[in-house]
Amino acid sequence: MRDKTDLLEDMEEVVRIVEEEGVKYTNPIVIEGLPDVGLVGTIAASYIVEKLDFKEIGHIESDLFPPVMVIHNGNLKDPFRIYSAEDGSVVVVLSEVAVPPKAVYPLTTALAEWFSKITVKNQVISIKGLPVKNRMDIENPEVFGIGNNEGAVAELKAKQMDLLEEGFIAGTYAMLLRECSKKKISAISLLAQCYPVYPDPGAAAAAIETVKKFVPSLAVDVSELLENAEEIKLKARDLMQQTALSASEMQKDMEQDMPIMYQ
Amino acid sequence: MEIERRILKATWGYNGNLEPLYEFEDENDAFLVTFDLPRVSKENIEINTTEGSVEVIAKMSNAVCWDRWGIVQKEITFQSFRKQIRLPEPIEPEKAHASFKNGILRITLPKIRRKVQIAIE
Repeated sequence: MRDKTDLLEDMEEVVRIVEEEGVKYTNPIVIEGLPDVGLVGTIAASYIVEKLDFKEIGHIESDLFPPVMVIHNGNLKDPFRIYSAEDGSVVVVLSEVAVPPKAVYPLTTALAEWFSKITVKNQVISIKGLPVKNRMDIENPEVFGIGNNEGAVAELKAKQMDLLEEGFIAGTYAMLLRECSKKKISAISLLAQCYPVYPDPGAAAAAIETVKKFVPSLAVDVSELLENAEEIKLKARDLMQQTALSASEMQKDMEQDMPIMYQ
Repeated sequence: MEIERRILKATWGYNGNLEPLYEFEDENDAFLVTFDLPRVSKENIEINTTEGSVEVIAKMSNAVCWDRWGIVQKEITFQSFRKQIRLPEPIEPEKAHASFKNGILRITLPKIRRKVQIAIE
């Protein structure tokens, strides 16, 4: 009979994190920007990587991912990639394709395991969107926080962040918060008010400004992101569609629901 | 929120038109449709409605040209967005209204209502 450990090992094997040789990490902070509502995380993470000239240090493979590769400047790349700052102090995980619902559990389990291996202590930051119906009337999107332990919540409060107090959260970041908890890794999710099904560079810019409070070394000017917002929206259309379709299977609808209990 | 039902497949075409991302909601007395229209100004949007459909044609301020686009062809150019949506129930076209802000077009399409109040016996 197979026990829980076997099952966990299988799940980790389903998702393989492939690193380049000789990469050094210095207790890194991880920024996760996988596709979700408004593509806030993907847009923000891609912008950070590009502006700070982070180096590609690995990728994530899985039979559960769509059989897709991407070509950039004539070079073949995996759509799920990992980047790092030169000094190994900041690692960014991003994807150019939507995460299939079946991959959420093994992916987040494997990521948390890998974070533990590269000694991420403090902390994992997921950049996400918080869909709001009246987004077109909001000039400056607010950013809310969720922490996976008392320390993470205390840090959010110390940075004067508004916390999400009640509700369901669904998708990769929800499971990543849980898996990081299991590994005793402090993790937070930063959720910027965004359009539910339109790419939202404005929300991504608001999220980056908030990430900078937690990672002061992240010297990114978001003005170019805002200037090029329309171009980014056009380029992100297809990924936005894939993500919206995938989201319905991930119970993202539940994020609009009210939980029954208060404790 | 049923994203899968509300967002329908947006596509590109070889005819210079790009299908916009849009959201369609049924709000009991009206349909609410929003369109994401980057690179478009209010003056360049044309909206046509009938009892059973709504059509949006929006010219971009400058054409989008992707010169390293896709594997099928090397270059593609789009000048405008175009989309026609068939409505599941008839609407009153003359009562429809629209607003445009931050690149998002919002159209409200009131349904034809023949309300009859029923008395409880």
